[in-house]
Amino acid sequence: MNDGFVWFAIAFWLGGWAFNEWLVRQKFSNPALNRLAWFAVPVIFGAAIIIIWEGVVIAFNIPPILLPAPSDVWVRLINSLPILWADFRQTFLKAVLIGYAIGCGSGFLVAILIDRSPFLKNGLLPFGNFVSALPIVGIAPIMVMWFGFDWPSKAAVVVVATFFPMLVNTIQGLSASSSMERDLMRTYAATWSQTLIKLRLPAAWPFIFNALKINSTLALIGAIVAEFFGTPTVGMGFRISTEVGRANIDMVWAEIAVAALAGSAFYGVVALIQRVVTFWHPSVRSGRS
Amino acid sequence: MKSTFLAALAAGGLALGAGQAFSADEITLQLKWVTQAQFAGYYVALEKGFYEEEGLDVTIKPGGPDIAPAQVLAGGGADVIVDWMPSALATREKGVPLVNIAQPYKSSGMMLTCLKENNVMSPEDFPGKTLGVWFYGNEYPFLSWMAHLGIPTDGGEDGVTVLKQGFNVDPLLQKQAACISTMTYNEYWQVIDAGISEDQLNTFKYEDEGVATLEDGLYVLEDDLKDPKFKDDMVKFVRASMKGWKWAEENPDEAAEIVLDYDDTGAQTEKHQKRMMSEVAKLTAGSNGALDPADYQRTVEVLLGGGSDPVITKEPEGAYTLEITDAALSN
Amino acid sequence: MLRERVLPVATVVFAILAIWCVFVVVMNRQFVEDQARRAGQEITFGEIVSQAYTLERPVLPSPHQVAAELWSTTVKKKITSKRSLVYHAWITLSSTLLGFAIGSGFGIILAIAIVHNRTMERSMMPWIIASQTIPIIAIAPMLIVVLNAIGITGLLPKALISTYLSFFPVAVGMVSGLRSPDQLQLDLMRTYNANDRQILWKLRLPSAMPYLFTSLKIAIAISLVGAIIAELPTGAVAGLGARLLSGSYYGQTVQIWSALFMAAILASVLVAIVGLAQTAVLKRMGARP
Repeated sequence: MNDGFVWFAIAFWLGGWAFNEWLVRQKFSNPALNRLAWFAVPVIFGAAIIIIWEGVVIAFNIPPILLPAPSDVWVRLINSLPILWADFRQTFLKAVLIGYAIGCGSGFLVAILIDRSPFLKNGLLPFGNFVSALPIVGIAPIMVMWFGFDWPSKAAVVVVATFFPMLVNTIQGLSASSSMERDLMRTYAATWSQTLIKLRLPAAWPFIFNALKINSTLALIGAIVAEFFGTPTVGMGFRISTEVGRANIDMVWAEIAVAALAGSAFYGVVALIQRVVTFWHPSVRSGRS
Repeated sequence: MKSTFLAALAAGGLALGAGQAFSADEITLQLKWVTQAQFAGYYVALEKGFYEEEGLDVTIKPGGPDIAPAQVLAGGGADVIVDWMPSALATREKGVPLVNIAQPYKSSGMMLTCLKENNVMSPEDFPGKTLGVWFYGNEYPFLSWMAHLGIPTDGGEDGVTVLKQGFNVDPLLQKQAACISTMTYNEYWQVIDAGISEDQLNTFKYEDEGVATLEDGLYVLEDDLKDPKFKDDMVKFVRASMKGWKWAEENPDEAAEIVLDYDDTGAQTEKHQKRMMSEVAKLTAGSNGALDPADYQRTVEVLLGGGSDPVITKEPEGAYTLEITDAALSN
Repeated sequence: MLRERVLPVATVVFAILAIWCVFVVVMNRQFVEDQARRAGQEITFGEIVSQAYTLERPVLPSPHQVAAELWSTTVKKKITSKRSLVYHAWITLSSTLLGFAIGSGFGIILAIAIVHNRTMERSMMPWIIASQTIPIIAIAPMLIVVLNAIGITGLLPKALISTYLSFFPVAVGMVSGLRSPDQLQLDLMRTYNANDRQILWKLRLPSAMPYLFTSLKIAIAISLVGAIIAELPTGAVAGLGARLLSGSYYGQTVQIWSALFMAAILASVLVAIVGLAQTAVLKRMGARP
């Protein structure tokens, strides 16, 4: 009986793959169907993975303290929505969003400011790369020491984590416009700020959004890790680290699922904004971003 | 290697690297925390050859803040673990059948340490304050105590705000908390080393408050005990470990030196370890390794008496065995 | 060279050191004053400053404390000593490089598969992005226990955390890189009647090189972070992660900071080595320096 489920899982996976192969080759006349097919492919793939996971857990009698079955995780998730929501609010709505806004915002502003001075640019960029290489885990205990144990210290970690990718990418983006375009602006007698707004910023959007996307995942992970080093009794990182010690591994995975969902949604929203802002860019027009 | 899952994987050729050898006399001990004098007895037994005399080849794995010993045990990464009874019983209720086979620690070293200037003179002063607590299975004694006092732990005027403490004493020094959790043999001295004198501190020992629970016992999986060979190995292991503990009590300074030799991080200091050893000796002195059922009963009652949110919901059954220590101490 | 590179960097470093020195007093002042009050002494501002720089457990260590610690743990101690930072850095480095090698190899293979198979692309791509939103850091300890359960011990579990983090930038960068040849070049290959494999070896891979090296720089830095994270739960045995953890645990801030600096220096060196390889390879390929 147990092994039967594994065979079912493998069969499901192969069947799903074959169906996906077929689906990818289809051109539906109806655009709604096309869109549905577009979504169905990754969903089928994800379902196959979850079913295989479930199959492995059942077939090999893996103790729940090592790896719970996805069905158990789902039950736990549904039953502890209030706790998960409180954790989400503490970690995501406070630490992540505030830290992300401050980190990306100040990274962008500093890039604009030092853009006028090659001297500062040459001085700050190597330093920026140096700090980007710092393991964020290491600064978490220091931030907790400085900003207390509630969400501000987590936001501080997020600020440090997101500031430098934004700075480096914005500076790169600001030099992305070609000299011919800049000469054209000069022949129009455009001021520095006009050149910035009309030419250089639009040319920099792809780079800036690239940083925003990278930062969206960095911010969430940074905040969760920072919560391992002293927190109030709420928060995603707190829950993950505490429930492992309490042998509630299903709760840990439920929280991880929420984190992955929140992270993917965050990334998706940034990608959507990018499509709206840079609708003219070739990478968007060709339908790939 | 314990479950069919592991066997199947091993058969599937996934056992890469140095997989576990199956020689019965190899024993892996998973500690609850990093290498320090808290576990001196085991290191002494290893260094002085007490395990070897019994024909055992023992590997000691240090723990850490993110290591759940019960998980390592269930995963087959260890044969025997050091754990606190509250988390062991709670884990047992969750379906991992841990059994206590020996109890080298007689008394609890847990306490709350408060700065006098924060005006915490007695437990009546707790409401409205922020208290630092370790989590990861170490929160049970604290939660039981608060439940006994009838103080809610979710903040507010008449409750306490709980701060999940990291691994150091900074929250107290930086005034983030009125009191923090400390062990008599470890963190308390870190506060002293930071330049705070003893007369500036108030301490509440769990032993004095009547809510002490058993710490640092040895636990194995119930199913393993069905194997006579394993049982025999455990008898030898406990006997040698207790020999190590008693040696450490008599020669605290040398025991601390041995621990320092085994510390791979190179972060431990001699001064701190020697002091820790002399404090630990006070806690192990009352035990010959055998669990006193009265102590066990007291621990269970503390945990059950947790008001609305007890740590364990029913009286555990078969959570300890005296067979191993009886056999180990009889000769 | 001197005016363009060295001077700006020196200025920035100097400015940061100055700010640091001011903050040492600001951060440590509270504790010094508290100590004086507890001892019932009056304390002058000059004494506060001098004590703030020499505290045994500072909130923010002074630059000279960190420098002294770095000096004594790298130069003065024997490299084989457990108290030598070089020894710990080497342990972290070995796990970093193994994880980086596996991760980049896996990322490149994944990218080639994605470029050649639309089903792979459409079913995997969203999940590859989602995989990076899982706080791997939070489950690293559990992962290591589970890997131990199936007999994988030693260096490999640590390296696998690095692999998980480093395959992502390589895969994403290589997908863009393999797609970078324009239609004209692809058509030319078609007129030569080249098959898919020839197109891959003769056109796609060479044009992907710049993208590959950019990704490798990110990947090696993130591998190091992965290795450090993986060292936190392995029982704090050895490595820079273990130094960070034990430093945090015993409140030895100076040790935390020196381990952090060591990690950042290591990361900078690794990134620089990849950069040198990039210059050499691209030069051989005839790119303009």
